[in-house]
Amino acid sequence: MITKQLLEQIEGEASVYFDIQNEKVAFATVSFPHFRGMESILEGKNALDSLVITPRVCGICGHAHLMATVRALENAYKNGGYEINLTQKSQKIREFTLLMEMIQNHFKWLYMVIIPELSKLTTLNLENRPLKGAFAASIAAKAIALFGGQWPHSSYMVPGGVTADPTHIELLQAQNYLQELIMFFEKESLGFSLETFLSFESCKEFGGFDSDIVSLEAALMDAQMHQKGFAYDRFFVMGEHGFSKVAKVKSTRTFGVESKYITTQAAYAPQAQSFAKNALYKNAYYETGPLARLMAKGRPFVKNMHRRYKDSAYSRVMARVYEIASMLSYVQNLLKDIEITQDSVTPLVDIKKISAEGVGVVEAPRGPLVHRVKIEDGIIKKYEIITPTQFNIGSSSLEKPTPVQMAMQGLSKEDALFIFRTFDVCSVCTTH
Amino acid sequence: MHLKKDKKLTILWLQGLTCNGNTHSFLNLSSLSLLLSKFEILHFPAMQTVYTFESISECKLSCDILIFEGTYDPLMKRNNVFLKDILQHYAKGAKYIIAAGSCASFGGMFKASSPERNSGILFNEKEESGPLTEYKEKIINLSGCPIHPEWMGFTLSMLVNKQKVFLDELHRPLELYSSLAHHGCSRNEYFEWKVDAKGFGLKEGCLFYEQGCRAPMTHSSCNKILWNEVSSKTRIGTPCFGCTEPDFPRSALFTTKTNMSIPQDVPLGVSKRSYLTMAGVAKTFHVKRLEGKLIDYKTTS
Repeated sequence: MITKQLLEQIEGEASVYFDIQNEKVAFATVSFPHFRGMESILEGKNALDSLVITPRVCGICGHAHLMATVRALENAYKNGGYEINLTQKSQKIREFTLLMEMIQNHFKWLYMVIIPELSKLTTLNLENRPLKGAFAASIAAKAIALFGGQWPHSSYMVPGGVTADPTHIELLQAQNYLQELIMFFEKESLGFSLETFLSFESCKEFGGFDSDIVSLEAALMDAQMHQKGFAYDRFFVMGEHGFSKVAKVKSTRTFGVESKYITTQAAYAPQAQSFAKNALYKNAYYETGPLARLMAKGRPFVKNMHRRYKDSAYSRVMARVYEIASMLSYVQNLLKDIEITQDSVTPLVDIKKISAEGVGVVEAPRGPLVHRVKIEDGIIKKYEIITPTQFNIGSSSLEKPTPVQMAMQGLSKEDALFIFRTFDVCSVCTTH
Repeated sequence: MHLKKDKKLTILWLQGLTCNGNTHSFLNLSSLSLLLSKFEILHFPAMQTVYTFESISECKLSCDILIFEGTYDPLMKRNNVFLKDILQHYAKGAKYIIAAGSCASFGGMFKASSPERNSGILFNEKEESGPLTEYKEKIINLSGCPIHPEWMGFTLSMLVNKQKVFLDELHRPLELYSSLAHHGCSRNEYFEWKVDAKGFGLKEGCLFYEQGCRAPMTHSSCNKILWNEVSSKTRIGTPCFGCTEPDFPRSALFTTKTNMSIPQDVPLGVSKRSYLTMAGVAKTFHVKRLEGKLIDYKTTS
């Protein structure tokens, strides 16, 4: 029998249709019912308008969309014969705000989604305080706004650089917010220092501490999440940044990738209309996001965890927590050596002179975000957006399930619903 | 149904066609915990609340304050129930209705998804023809893309304190929208002396003449109540896109539309003739201090 489950707190709405046999999920399909037509809204517009429109794809990761757009436009400039060389200053500021958006995303997911949902599956005591996530996220947003003017929905990245022209005052304020956020993470989430956490080589080292993260780890074990939620055990990272390594990872081996092999297919959702498309790499499904990024980088903590528990729900959740720590540490250094005398924007010709195609790929909180644009005389002729949730949360047939479908198979409905959320679902991005 | 005196006002946050940007912007409110403690939250999209959306969509409950986020699409269904039925049900019983953001206020960004049928809840751009015209006395529009968290915090606080919120003709609180985005802009002196920004990425210069800045024509308090408590678009060199106005989003957003090199739109309430006279006089003076860099790191040692 097919049963429907409406899902909330996933940046919009989705329904999972479970085929339950002997109280276990035999198969599940996913439908995303709402559609806004962002790509057709963009067509016919001045190409620079995309810097204002695409952040509005998503309220939680709009900054990643802004960066994918600006990269796509800069790539079109290059393909149109005008290569743009960004200053180090503008590259670092862009990367800083992108990472701060990821950090705010992970904090919200941890406190507003994962802890409340996991507490339904464990007898252990998990303190349910969702506003801690909102508070931490708001500090990250302040740091973004120092350069981006506001968060969400900033449009401060433009072809050639950033509109901001900061002084050492803003750089210092950003460092201060960052320190405040690190202190919050240490005191309120970890119960020990960031440095200690980053020195961990395995999750066995949590023993003896008492904190939100330690309780989370214990509760994941208690709910046997280290034995559940396995997908294909292959991962995919596509966005080029100082903090990422572009690769596909099969088990523990890494291989090179090219964005031209990313394709989409219509979703298989027989029970209800879905506007989502599945995203594939060379016609195969891969898992994207923090676990993928940390596997590609080969961080010892994550490699050890993967050796024991593979791509289980446990690994997926703990990798996201670990990524908060590794990103907080990374951004500290990013701000340190910004050369303030460099230009914020490098000079470039009017976009009206550009007739070319461009591709922009970034790592968004949930994985690779791809924007493809075709411009004629500065006007958008075609725009295509492929989001990370399309990789993780596609809906396909039984013969070739997507990562989330595979991860839910054979489990109780309650476990499956939790595992669905371990991928950190973004409904609005999926259907855009 | 009579409310007991000590009972908290109930809030239901309902979404139409949206990006969730208003939800996430609201979560940035610095006094969020304090504010939320004054209400009973029946439903809020980003957190587990008293009722699930499944219960909300059955339309058997009621709320005191209905907050609507997103564009209204009459054909949209939420959990297989027509949004228009859910909206009508809760609007009828609510004491106050707040449109959170420009989509809910005027149609906004996602009016373009289906321009012939989508709108805000009271206005379709400037025209009062939305689905809730019947309840217009209790509607407050908090336009902006997204909503500024402090604007929502202010409005909810006024309601819980039983204070009257004075509105403009587009149902926006006067205390938030009577001034312009231009007020408090750190580039005002460049505007006064008509010194253009020479491009993006500069502290110096006004963005009104070339870069498309709409701040002198846009009702908002962005440069008075700063974003995320620290900044605003114009302060970091991004033009104002006029996102609080019914015509948002306009097109060619990074360019000032001109007729014979004169800005097509001049500051609100100023006649074109007065503006040109004043601008012409200002331009005849050269203020050396405003023509160079504010700080030249290379020559200062």
